Amino acid sequence: MNCEEFANSGLDGIVHGVGQNFDAAREHLRTCPHCASLYESWQGLTEGLRELGQATAGASAPPRVEMRLRQEFRTIHKTGKNRERAILAGWLLAAATLILVAGSMFFWRQQHGFDTAKRNPAPNSAVQTVANGPELGGTLIAESDGEQFALIPGAIPALQDETSVVRVQMQRGSLGALGLTVNEEHANDLVQVDLLVGADGQPQGYRLPESNN
Amino acid sequence: MHIEAQERDDVLLRRSAKGDEEAFTQLYRRNQAQIYRFALRMTGQPWAAEEIVQDVFMTLVREPKKYDPARGPLGAFLYGIARNRVMKHLERQPREFSLELKDDEGETKILEAVDDRTPAQWAELRERRERVRSAVLSLPPEFRETVVLCELEEMSYEEAARALECPVGTVRSRLHRGRALLLAKLEMLRESPRRANAGR
Repeated sequence: MNCEEFANSGLDGIVHGVGQNFDAAREHLRTCPHCASLYESWQGLTEGLRELGQATAGASAPPRVEMRLRQEFRTIHKTGKNRERAILAGWLLAAATLILVAGSMFFWRQQHGFDTAKRNPAPNSAVQTVANGPELGGTLIAESDGEQFALIPGAIPALQDETSVVRVQMQRGSLGALGLTVNEEHANDLVQVDLLVGADGQPQGYRLPESNN
Repeated sequence: MHIEAQERDDVLLRRSAKGDEEAFTQLYRRNQAQIYRFALRMTGQPWAAEEIVQDVFMTLVREPKKYDPARGPLGAFLYGIARNRVMKHLERQPREFSLELKDDEGETKILEAVDDRTPAQWAELRERRERVRSAVLSLPPEFRETVVLCELEEMSYEEAARALECPVGTVRSRLHRGRALLLAKLEMLRESPRRANAGR
């Protein structure tokens, strides 16, 4: 073994007492004063490093680091939980608002639709329209007023207490469906008709207010 | 909540991620000393080591999912974070390091075992230790961390290779080169006082 080989591989092995060239390295050490000096320094370094290692072996972070970290830990996890709660509360609020708005719109539309129908009854709404009930196209006049009504053919008369009178506007031509004779020249004229509507919503009789006659 | 002494790090970390403070504390106590020592030996500054430990564990609190148990033990993962922080610190302050360990009050901290050495022997030991510490701190970072892990932390080449994320052969060669640099540095340090004394 020469000096270069000793420096490259033998030195490390001989210091730690291991390596394939351990015997050759020891032999070289006996014959070469330069490498013996190097070995001595190397040993001194190993010793110095060991001492330094031992001097700091018991070192650990001061307790304040743990305290700070635990404080941060609590803050972060508390904030996280609060954030989750805030998000949940936000969603609940949004859902409640949505339900409120939808409900309001539904009721408003119902109310509005009813009012519109009252104001602008469909000109062609004949018996079928009225048959759906007074709220869809006519004006409720009385809960029960069975006088002077002519029965619609095929209708089964109900008890007087269960009927109501609905005033509707319809084309004169539509009166043909109720069994009346209609003058074709005036078929498109609008007339007011009182319908006697049963509890089932079906018209049972009709009469023409005097203003139409 | 009771924690088993041998509970695995990854289990503790999962519990910590769910807000279990005791699990986090257990993890911290289990791993802080080796991270602190590594940072201290790399930087030579207790305050920097303290900051690095705090940074490392804050990363664990904020981003616990960064750790993948399949890639190795938590200790190696923490070493990885600590290495990055140490390197950043060294980049910021490449030439500033103290040669002594100071405690909280700024007093020199002596971490020595009590034995039967004489005061003169103690003085010599302290001087030699300071020379070695100074020489270690003057090494380039890649050699320094290898020396710190293998010589001071007494890790095996394999353990150091895992911590440094490099092949075992690289650890071996860096250590050899690091020791050679240390020797040269120690020779210089030994010569300096002699020259200074000769000049008087």
